[in-house]
Amino acid sequence: MATEARDRIAARDRVEARRRQAEAPSTVRDDSDDEMIVSFPEFIFKEFIAAVAMTVFLVLVSIFLQAPLLGQANPGVTPNPSKAPWYFLGLQELLSRFPPLMAGVAFPTFVIVLMILVPFLDRNPSRRPSERKVAIILFGLYMVIVVALVIIGTFFRGHEFIWNWGWVLGSPQTCGGAAC
Amino acid sequence: MKVIRGAVDEMWSVMEQMVGSVFRHGLPLTDKIAARTALTNFVLHIHPVRVRRSWIRMSYTLCLGGLSFFLFIVLTVTGLYLMFYYVPSINHAYQDMRDLQFVVTFGGLIRNMHRWAAHAMVITVWLHMARVFLTGSYKKPREFNWGVGTVLLLITLLLSFTGYLLPWDQLSIWAVTVGTNMAKYAPIAGPYTRYLMLGGHAVGDATLLRFYVMHVVGLPLIGFLLMVVHFWRVRKDGFSGGL
Repeated sequence: MATEARDRIAARDRVEARRRQAEAPSTVRDDSDDEMIVSFPEFIFKEFIAAVAMTVFLVLVSIFLQAPLLGQANPGVTPNPSKAPWYFLGLQELLSRFPPLMAGVAFPTFVIVLMILVPFLDRNPSRRPSERKVAIILFGLYMVIVVALVIIGTFFRGHEFIWNWGWVLGSPQTCGGAAC
Repeated sequence: MKVIRGAVDEMWSVMEQMVGSVFRHGLPLTDKIAARTALTNFVLHIHPVRVRRSWIRMSYTLCLGGLSFFLFIVLTVTGLYLMFYYVPSINHAYQDMRDLQFVVTFGGLIRNMHRWAAHAMVITVWLHMARVFLTGSYKKPREFNWGVGTVLLLITLLLSFTGYLLPWDQLSIWAVTVGTNMAKYAPIAGPYTRYLMLGGHAVGDATLLRFYVMHVVGLPLIGFLLMVVHFWRVRKDGFSGGL
């Protein structure tokens, strides 16, 4: 067992050495001297604590905050405004401003393809934030735009998806004057 | 007296054998036992046996990937409970939701948990992506795993979107109408794609069944397989490590 374990550890170290080489050591902090620990129980205990905290949070939220359930679906009565789920409201917001082909199809497809290609487009080998300002600024900009569009779509689009300064979320959806 | 003592000893050793057959190495009091436990335990084998402390610093990972996976588990368990009471037909769906909320034991709580966990998962997956980007962890040799992660993000959104229709209330039917209307703008394929998604020209019984099947079987299955690949690659490509 002892020899087997030693062999295993030696093999692991060789794999790690190869990985470090592949990663261009000059651009990554050298962590080969960092303390090595056995992942069980410390690492697993941390994950366990995170999971417990999330469970407690979810149960508390679920006790005090009811999931929405409006009236039964009625294809004959369209609420105004009709909104997509919040994570698609950025797209809906774009749709209200740009031609549908562009906002509904070309733009999302472009973003998805771009995201998958990011590791191949970003030729900068460094991982240090100070050496990749352009990437971080571009990504920050992307995040800000997405969050802003979602917030606008959620809170500032009222009747007919027209701009509304009131927090729209709290007001009931209406169907031709009557509440749904 | 001796006979009773012998029987008690025998029972005790059988008990020990039973416990030992499940937990093979006792309490992890030394590193050696801990390492052996991690190596031979099915649940723990997802983790490397040894890690550098700098790789798992919570201020670096923020535990976002792990939390996303945990939320997926929460959603599977709560979803299973909801499935006992829910029939995906326009004649039953809404009434089943009312029953879940007002009649079924813990139905309201479980439904709320499912709903909020779904929103939370969209957020944690999104933040996980942001963390990986900002630490440059997608760079060689992890390009492929970044791609897998992107697809997992899309699957998370689609899971949430398909689930949105299931309560069959005014919110869900019109949100899905708006959402699927976006698909029809694609050149040539658009109207066909929309027809495929809805199983007709408007959101109806066929749509509900399609969304339900994708929500409870199709997408979770694809997502689970991709998660297996994702975690496997994290192990094989190595943790990105602190900056």
